[in-house]
Amino acid sequence: MFEYKDFLIETDKFALNIGPSHPATHGVLRVLVKLDGETVVNAEPIIGYLHTSMEKYAEFRTYHQAETITDRMDYVSGASNNLGYILAVEKLCGVKAPKRAEYVRVILAELTRISSHLVWLATHAVDLGALTEFLYCFRERELILDIIETVTGARMTPSFYRVGGLAMDAHKDFFDKTRSFIKIFPEKISEYEALLTKNKIWLERTKNLGIISAEDAINFALTGPSLRGSGIKYDVRKANPYSSYEDFDFEIPTGETGDVYDRYLVRIEEMRQSLKIISQAVENVPEGEYLSYDEYPLYVIPPKKRALTTMEGMISLFKYGMEGIKPPKGEAYVSIENPRGELGFYIISDGSAFPYRMRVRPPSFCNISALNIMVKGHLVADLIAVMGSIDILLGEVDR
Amino acid sequence: MDVMFALTVIKESKPKAIVSADNIKGDVHIQIKKEDLLELALFLKTDSRLEFDMLSDLFAADYPRRPERIEVIYNFYSIKNNFRVFIKVNSKADETEYPSLTSVYNSANWFEREVYDMFGLKFKNHPDLKRILNPDDWDGYPLLKDYPLRKRPEPEEIKMDAPGYIEPEKI
Repeated sequence: MFEYKDFLIETDKFALNIGPSHPATHGVLRVLVKLDGETVVNAEPIIGYLHTSMEKYAEFRTYHQAETITDRMDYVSGASNNLGYILAVEKLCGVKAPKRAEYVRVILAELTRISSHLVWLATHAVDLGALTEFLYCFRERELILDIIETVTGARMTPSFYRVGGLAMDAHKDFFDKTRSFIKIFPEKISEYEALLTKNKIWLERTKNLGIISAEDAINFALTGPSLRGSGIKYDVRKANPYSSYEDFDFEIPTGETGDVYDRYLVRIEEMRQSLKIISQAVENVPEGEYLSYDEYPLYVIPPKKRALTTMEGMISLFKYGMEGIKPPKGEAYVSIENPRGELGFYIISDGSAFPYRMRVRPPSFCNISALNIMVKGHLVADLIAVMGSIDILLGEVDR
Repeated sequence: MDVMFALTVIKESKPKAIVSADNIKGDVHIQIKKEDLLELALFLKTDSRLEFDMLSDLFAADYPRRPERIEVIYNFYSIKNNFRVFIKVNSKADETEYPSLTSVYNSANWFEREVYDMFGLKFKNHPDLKRILNPDDWDGYPLLKDYPLRKRPEPEEIKMDAPGYIEPEKI
């Protein structure tokens, strides 16, 4: 007599490579997935396909040249990365930027956060089959890039900050465009939410999926929305305020279970809070200098007008151009809240015009390292949803 | 609470482990010996007054003129108390007994792989120590100071049996 088990085919676990060149990996990530049927047994992210050794390159650039490397790291939130780097150099030199420059920096960083979250929402929704969302998000992202372009001259890689301030003063056109954006954007967020938040298909694809507990999230050093989705109220803007964030009134949204849906809700709410910060900053931006050249003439470039009209200004601008700034010997660490999490810059100076060592603490690098425990036991299709929800950016993972 | 409180707690509880401690621009930097690292990390994580629950960063810097040229810097953070301390450990580049923190913090796994990849420091008892950013067959450790910026493989190093390789005379 035959028993039922005799008719079953013996199955074996098999390995599947997702990527390195796959639309759902958002770059050149390779995930080596071990499957039992369609269930993920083990998922190992393999990174390094975009490695360009930016930390090494920074050691051969002057401090202001190295700034241009940082926005190429995280190319959808360039202004935010520049901010972290410049704050670290400022801490090294003991320089503080004037209030006006700090407010403009906050506006740019928060605009970048919104545009980065829009890119995330667009691609995440496309991964799960909601194509309309993509078109909506990129429509508003274009407006933000336009605003950034009016003041910095570049859409994605601004490199607009200088040690002790900004490259140029922000003009009226920039504030007017930002004001009109603030007016139209809240209803656009509701538009995005109308498509997804209570959509049955979206809920089925994202709820109770890719859960990471608060302890695990901390142990894997997750930060940003991936950590806040698990219910930990940690945001660098509140914990260690930098660049005048203490002046603004905003909330930190958190999730409860730490699944894909919670991370989605956290990011949507973060866009609203960013808008709140921007509107406060635009209304209260003080008049005055945009570079603190008078206080720290040793480290800060002179404003362009003074460089072209006074002899001292011309000489110091020439010196900064030819030699670069030379911070004193020492080490400084500054971390900021990037759209993806805590971005830290640790700079070691040996007193020369080049950084001795620049270390970037990349948020996406830590976030993707926890992929395995998030997807264990789920289906392959869910792996794509989880990967999208961590919001990695390979330029920053690989540097 | 101030981070200086954390420093006093560490100083009181582990006086033997600390070689030197100072406060640079508001950040606490503690120099320790590598033998005490694992014990200190466990203490930092479990002590109820400190609760350094996150290993926020782990990286190295190269000082070729020192007898122990690699300086590994640990960035511990406590979310609850908002403390941040930097623990520094010096080591030789070919050290075989360098302890790994993977048993205490999961985030140490990838960070230590990166330090191994860039500096060649081998962590003892690391579960999966292999290159992470560079290819597996990469020659040298790029972030060492004696590694040139624009190093290219020598012509004879190029593998002739690579897929898609056509010998020059056949073209």
